[in-house]
Amino acid sequence: MSGARERILAAVRQGLGREALPVASREALDARLRSTVEPDQHLRPRLAEGDIGYLFRARLQSVSATHEPLGSEAYVPAAVAAYLDSRHLEGPVAVAPCLRALDWRRAGLDPRFGQSHGEDVLCVSRAFCAIAETGTLVLLSGPDNPTTLNFLPDHHLVVLHAPDLVSHIEDAWTRIRAREGDWPRTVNLITGPSRTADVEQTIQLGAHGPRSLHVLMVDPGDR
Amino acid sequence: MTQARSHEFRTRAVQALRDETLKSALARAKDGFVLKRRQALDALPEYEALRDRAVAIKNHTLEYLDHYLERYEEAVIRQGGHVHWAENAEEACRIVVEICRQAGARSVTKGKSMVGEEVGVNDALEAAGMEVVETDLGEYIIQLANEPPSHIIAPAVHKTRGQISDLFHKHHARYGLTEKLVEVPDLVNEARQVLRQKYLDADVGITGANFLIAETGSNIIVTNEGNGDLTNTLPKVHIVTAGIEKVVPTLEDATTLLRLLPRSATGQQITSYTTLSTGPRRPGDPDGPEAYHVVLVDNGRSAMLRDEFREMLRCIRCGACMNHCPVYGAVGGHAYGWVYPGPMGSVLTPLTLGLREAKDLPNACTLNGRCADVCPVRIPLPDLLRSLRHRQFQHQLGTRRARWALRLWAWLAQRPGLYRRVTTLQVRTLRLLGGRRGRLRFLPLAGAWFRGGRVLPAPEGETFMRAWRRRGKNP
Repeated sequence: MSGARERILAAVRQGLGREALPVASREALDARLRSTVEPDQHLRPRLAEGDIGYLFRARLQSVSATHEPLGSEAYVPAAVAAYLDSRHLEGPVAVAPCLRALDWRRAGLDPRFGQSHGEDVLCVSRAFCAIAETGTLVLLSGPDNPTTLNFLPDHHLVVLHAPDLVSHIEDAWTRIRAREGDWPRTVNLITGPSRTADVEQTIQLGAHGPRSLHVLMVDPGDR
Repeated sequence: MTQARSHEFRTRAVQALRDETLKSALARAKDGFVLKRRQALDALPEYEALRDRAVAIKNHTLEYLDHYLERYEEAVIRQGGHVHWAENAEEACRIVVEICRQAGARSVTKGKSMVGEEVGVNDALEAAGMEVVETDLGEYIIQLANEPPSHIIAPAVHKTRGQISDLFHKHHARYGLTEKLVEVPDLVNEARQVLRQKYLDADVGITGANFLIAETGSNIIVTNEGNGDLTNTLPKVHIVTAGIEKVVPTLEDATTLLRLLPRSATGQQITSYTTLSTGPRRPGDPDGPEAYHVVLVDNGRSAMLRDEFREMLRCIRCGACMNHCPVYGAVGGHAYGWVYPGPMGSVLTPLTLGLREAKDLPNACTLNGRCADVCPVRIPLPDLLRSLRHRQFQHQLGTRRARWALRLWAWLAQRPGLYRRVTTLQVRTLRLLGGRRGRLRFLPLAGAWFRGGRVLPAPEGETFMRAWRRRGKNP
């Protein structure tokens, strides 16, 4: 197997018409790898003037996601209960362990905390950040935020804190790099519910993942 | 490697042209793709600048491909993953089968992977006694129909709702689903129901990669259905199959390409799911695979670095070239006979399988140039197709008649005075033959072309050179 590795690298070098790179060139390339600063700020799509929160909500709407404002994270269980009620949903609910401390009992809910095995009608997770440019939620895998919650339920509800909204995709990478700990196993950029156009180019929501995506935007300033 | 039928292009193209169902499926798809792409790019003033940057990123990475592959490998290993190297299709299949065997796999789910199609990994796994389930809805449909994909991003674009309904009715009975469904939501729901159990039962999940990131050791997949995520999250082993040209240095570099890929492909700003997978699950993680393998596939790519075909390695597999190609629009993807159709396929197939197998593909092109115009990474596809035609001529692969005709034309073209006189005469004669209706229904030496009722509009009686001079004086 290592034979194949050497042969492929040799074939690549032969194709490029040179030997293995000298140390100085390698160091220059590694410096490029480490300096993750973008060389061209002008390549970031220019966003509409004004509040990025407004833009983010408009983008969510354009990809068939819904949202509601909450004054505090403490209101999340009640919002989840209201969501279930208004859609007459019944069945198991799974919640990310990072939201365990909230008072779910008071909202009349008894969710499971942890990953989903496919039987849940609704799952709640928490976004690491969100991107206004594209209306995208960024979720990181980990003990507190299992990835299965994002894909197995019919209804996926995501808690997003207003200060975690960034303007462009690159800002999300900067935030992930700046956090403590190892690079997460999975980074999910989620933009709207699951969809397919594989049958006669007709867009149909809920192909394999959630049929609906609802964002609970926690913003104490938003009264 | 997936069995090729590219040498049958002519026969299959003729069959396709007579297939009314295919014609309507292709017409509907083409209009949608072209319009949606246009709208997405009109809303992106940075498009041309992003294209320039994308070309620069890809060229830079290819120039130092050995270094970035090594750095990528180190990063994957640092994160607890394994990297395997496959020189060709057989080796890639052998590696994938071996990983599945060691995992004791009986059932394998697959996200869409064009490299997987290229190397024929499904056949290899089935031959090893494993059940393989394609989970992308389009791929699932063609798997049931036992056909190769006809488009790189919409594999079942050639299938109508009625055909899909028949396929599901036939194949879903064994799950107790016997009702015949015809509406799109019902069809999608039934596939969701059947495939959901497959995800949960699978031992290994195989996905492709739109990008490999040297900085972090991640692979990125870009999907809409969520099937790729269920495939790379639920089974205990995740295998990524990817061509060696998929590596890019940093996430910022990938971001530039990500701003171009979905817009060029489906006209979306971003797809529903863009997912970075990095190594296996971490200590304390409640889900995710326990093992993470990457199979890096060469299969002819390193040889393309040598000459002008290096430009083809910039391809990010968006499908815009085929969506804008009049030949693809008329005959569909299956006529091309292998896994990559349209303009990009007409370049890649001869380079991978040889000019003899794919001798008609470089000629199945009008050189109208639309593919190059819409290519987000500015691959000069018509130039590359012309290079392949040149190679074909050099290797004496054309028919004897075509070669003599070309020689005769070259001789004539080098004598401008004579060329003008001959073409003037030719144009007048054809006009006379065309009669009052200006249509040709037969020509000596070209009888075969007119078979089946084809009609050629006759020239209007003036050569291009003459018209040019006339208009030049009086524009």
